[in-house]
Amino acid sequence: MSFFGYIRPDGSVGTRNYVLVIPQGLIAKSICDFVAGTRTILTVDHGSGRTANDRERIARVLIGLGRNPNVASVIIHAASPGVGYPELKAERLADEIAASGKRVEVIDPVKDGGVYEAIAKGIQLARMMVYEASKLRRVETGDEHLCLGVKCGYSDTTSGIAGNPAVGYLFDKIVKAGGTAFFGETTEIIGAEHALAKRAVTPDVAKAILNAVAHREALAKSTGLDIRTINPIPANIKGGLSSLEEKSLGAIHKAGTSPIQEVLQYAEKPKNKGLFFVDNWMGSYSIFAGYAAAGSNLVMFQLGGGGLAGRNLLEGSPSIVSPFLWLTSNPKTYAMARDNIDFYSGTVIEGREDPEQVGERLYRTVIDIASGTLSRSETLTYVEPIDLYLEEPRF
Amino acid sequence: MAVRRALIMHPKDNVATTVEEIQPGDQVQVSSGGEVRTLTAVEAIPFGFKIALQEIPQGAIIMKYGETIGKAGRLIARGALVHVHNLEGTRARGDLEGGEKR
Repeated sequence: MSFFGYIRPDGSVGTRNYVLVIPQGLIAKSICDFVAGTRTILTVDHGSGRTANDRERIARVLIGLGRNPNVASVIIHAASPGVGYPELKAERLADEIAASGKRVEVIDPVKDGGVYEAIAKGIQLARMMVYEASKLRRVETGDEHLCLGVKCGYSDTTSGIAGNPAVGYLFDKIVKAGGTAFFGETTEIIGAEHALAKRAVTPDVAKAILNAVAHREALAKSTGLDIRTINPIPANIKGGLSSLEEKSLGAIHKAGTSPIQEVLQYAEKPKNKGLFFVDNWMGSYSIFAGYAAAGSNLVMFQLGGGGLAGRNLLEGSPSIVSPFLWLTSNPKTYAMARDNIDFYSGTVIEGREDPEQVGERLYRTVIDIASGTLSRSETLTYVEPIDLYLEEPRF
Repeated sequence: MAVRRALIMHPKDNVATTVEEIQPGDQVQVSSGGEVRTLTAVEAIPFGFKIALQEIPQGAIIMKYGETIGKAGRLIARGALVHVHNLEGTRARGDLEGGEKR
């Protein structure tokens, strides 16, 4: 089987067709509020006062989003507070995105006569860029062009039994077809890292997995706290998870059984295809932006939800240019938040389907949404802000 | 008494995950592969929580997915609820001196 996508000049394939306006701020937001079919990044992390490593990480996010196959063309404005740093200069961002063959336009309040004028110019450009993008037609293409990212959250014991294994089945299938899949959340593989390290393609990759965990666990211990006062989060404990190890051992089921090619940093685009572990944290305001910047053209949140109550409207997580799916295997969560849920795998728990049937059904759902069917969260205009995953001190 | 279901993730496990709400005295049918056994719940166990398949002495390893998910903080009776009140995580514990590695 295959999906219908937008072929980009560099050969990558989009599941959506947006004009992206970056970096964050008044100019970008104003253009996007005015012009349909546009996307921007809402964040306060503009790079000012950050170390070179963190500034480079921000640049990686912005360039990666621009190069994401779901983006047809890009407008960059030169009015962000971080723009004076070499890593974040508008020309640098523009050049690296344009290297993918996409149209990139730069607007600059200094050259264009002020902020009002830059916004006006951006609106005019964006309208025509969206119009041009709309002329592109979807064509049938192979699953090797899918690049999926997953996070599990509000996990409960249904996540490890049914929800994460369904994602694992999907990941194995996409990886076998030559596609790409990302999982991560380093804290949430503590206790399960040896099983993952065994699947690394080389001893160096195995070492990188164990090192990432050792670093994170040492940081956790340095707090002097019982980790269970932080993670598992209260909703996890309320949902039946009793320790970080139990959460981790359930969490890794979402990674399927494929070999692990590499440990990637936040927003780092892999050089080849396959399954990748991303050394990131669990925050949904961070993780999906990072996956999208690394090239994900579809992302998913596998929801436990046993510890949630009254949440029949879910706000989704910001993935900027990539369709975002809610999955759950908890029958109570599904009953509570049905409008929001793109896929339900609790049939395994209810004994109505086996894991393979559920996995195949999830695959067909992903193909549909990759081909243009809206995910439930795409039917909302509300967008959460992004918390870029920056690790170094600020000054 | 009602018969309720719980799932074992791995043959080495000494706990099972309940997939129904369980009341004290309920018979709990636990399946692992083709094998089914029954035990009596000694207390209420909510959906998605863990039931002890055997008596677990204080300090003994608690296994799920065939791996360690913690240690028994106190003696746990067969058929009892296993959760944060009687299961101690052993990883990333900054509150334990120098932490504890499995």
